[in-house]
Amino acid sequence: MHIPDGFLAAPVWASLDVAAVPAVGYLVRRAQRGFEESRAPLLGVMGAFVFAAQMINFPVGIGTSGHLVGGALLALTLGPASAGVVMTAILAIQALVFQDGGVLALGANVTNMALCGVLAGYLPFHFWGNGPWRRFSFFLGGVLSVLASAVLALAQLLLSGIRMPGSVLGLSLGLFAVSAVLEGLITLTVVGALETLNPGFIRQATAGHSRALGLLGTVAVALAVFGVLIASRDPDGIWKLAGSLGIAGRAQALLPTPLADYQVGFLQSPWLRRAAGGLAGLGLIFGACVLFGRLVSKSRSA
Amino acid sequence: MHHVVLERWSRGRSVLHRRDARAKTLALLVFLVVLATSYGPLAALSGVYFALLLSALLLARLPVAGALARSALVLPFSVAFAAVSLLAGDAPRAAALLSKSYLSALAVLILISTTPLPQLLRGLEQIGVPHFLLMVAQFLYRYLFVISEEAQHMRVAALSRGASVRGMAARRARFRAAAGALAVLFARSYARAGGIHRAMLSRGFQGRFHLLAAPRFGWADAAFLLLAALLPAAARGFLGGWRP
Repeated sequence: MHIPDGFLAAPVWASLDVAAVPAVGYLVRRAQRGFEESRAPLLGVMGAFVFAAQMINFPVGIGTSGHLVGGALLALTLGPASAGVVMTAILAIQALVFQDGGVLALGANVTNMALCGVLAGYLPFHFWGNGPWRRFSFFLGGVLSVLASAVLALAQLLLSGIRMPGSVLGLSLGLFAVSAVLEGLITLTVVGALETLNPGFIRQATAGHSRALGLLGTVAVALAVFGVLIASRDPDGIWKLAGSLGIAGRAQALLPTPLADYQVGFLQSPWLRRAAGGLAGLGLIFGACVLFGRLVSKSRSA
Repeated sequence: MHHVVLERWSRGRSVLHRRDARAKTLALLVFLVVLATSYGPLAALSGVYFALLLSALLLARLPVAGALARSALVLPFSVAFAAVSLLAGDAPRAAALLSKSYLSALAVLILISTTPLPQLLRGLEQIGVPHFLLMVAQFLYRYLFVISEEAQHMRVAALSRGASVRGMAARRARFRAAAGALAVLFARSYARAGGIHRAMLSRGFQGRFHLLAAPRFGWADAAFLLLAALLPAAARGFLGGWRP
C-alpha cells in the first residue's frame, strides 16, 4: 500500500520524513559494512528482481491471484539492513518514475515497508531460524511484514483524519489478513525452492536465542501494530497519557516553526490534537522499532 | 511502456530541460509542501496550481494530453479513498484527496520527464542523499527492464506448459511452480549481479557513475527556483488561509 501525496496530514508526513532520514542513513552504513564493494550492483539487481517478481502470479482463489511483496524474502536472503536499503530504493523509484506513492509521503512509505516491514519480516527467523520452528518462521515473517506495513499505513491515514466507516475498516483489515497469509505462503515456498537450488542463499540464523525471547519479540511487534491502530482510532487516550508524562508540553514547543504565526490556538484544534496525540504514539513505536533493530543487529555481530 | 515514454520525454530540449536538477528538485519540494498544506477555497487554489503546472508542461514542450493522462495513474487509489470519505460524510475531504493527489503526481511527472534519471540522482546526491542508496537505485532502474523481460519470458513459458489449467489439485501445483520460477529468477538475478560487477571492474569502474556534462547551478537556475517557489506560495497567500 503506497500512500500518495495529499493523503497524510502535514504533521504526520513531516515527522515520518524526519524520522526516516537517520534510520535510512543507519541502514545504508550497516549494509555497506563488512561486505565487498560488489554490494551496490547486487542490491540494485535484487531490487529489480522484486519489481519483476510482481509479474509472476500465484493462484489464490476463484479467478484471483497474488504476487510477492518481497520484504521478508529480501531480509532472509540479504539480511535486514540490506533489505531495508533495497526496499527504500524501490520505493524511491516507484515514487519518482511510476507515480506510485508520494514524494512527501516517502518517509511514511519507507517507515512502513522498508523499516518496520522488513524488521517484522526478519524477526521470527532471527529467533527461530535454527530450531524446529524454522519453516514456520519463514511463514510468520512473510505474514508479519505485510501486516505491519499495511496496518501502519492504515493507522497513518486514520491519524490524518480520513474517516472510515467501521465496515470499511473491518473489510480492509480482512483483506490485509488475507494478503498477509498469502505473502507468508509465498515466502515459505520460495525459500523452500531456493534452499533446494542453493542452501547458501538463505542466511544463517545465529544459534542460542531462547524461544521465550522470540515469542516476546513477536508479541511486541503484534502489539505495536495493533496498538497503533487502536491509538489512531482514539488518539485522545494516548494524548492524555503523553500529557501526563510531560511529552505534551515538549511537543507543543517542537511543533513546526514555519507555522509560528499560527501557534496561537494551534493545539486547540481537535484535528491537530488527534494528529499530535497519535503521532506521539507512532513516534514511541518507531523508536521502539529502531532500538529493537539495533539490539538485534548488535547481538548478531557479537 | 510507461517508463520508456518518460525516458524519451526527459531527453527533450526546452528551458525546463536545461535547468539544473537541484533547482528542479527543490522547486518540486516547495510546490508539494505548499500544496499539501493548502486549505480554504479548494476549487480556486486547485485551479491556480493546475494552471501553473500546465504552463510548466507547455514550457517543457511535453505532450499535454499524454502527461495529464499519465498522472491519472494515481487516481484509482485516490478514488477508492475519496469514496470511503464520501461514505463517511466528508465530501470536502474527498475532493481534496482527489485534487491534491492528482496535482502532486502531475508535478512529480513534470520533474521526471524533464530530467534524465542519472542527472536527477546526481542532483539528489549533491543535496545530501547517501551515494550508496542512489547507486542501488540506479542499478535497480537500469536492470528493471532486463529482469522484467526475463520474468515475462518465464511467465509465457509457464503458460505454454499449462499454467492456466483450472482445478483444486492444479492450483497447488501451480503455486509450487510459481514459487520455483521465482526462485530460479532470484538465482539468475544473483548470478547476473556478480557478472555485472566483474564486467564493470574490468572496464575500470571506480565506485562512481560519471555524467557526460558536469552539473552547473547558474543564475538562470536560481531565478527559476525563486520563481517556481514564489508563484504557488503567492497563490496560496492570496487565495487561501493556513487552517480553516
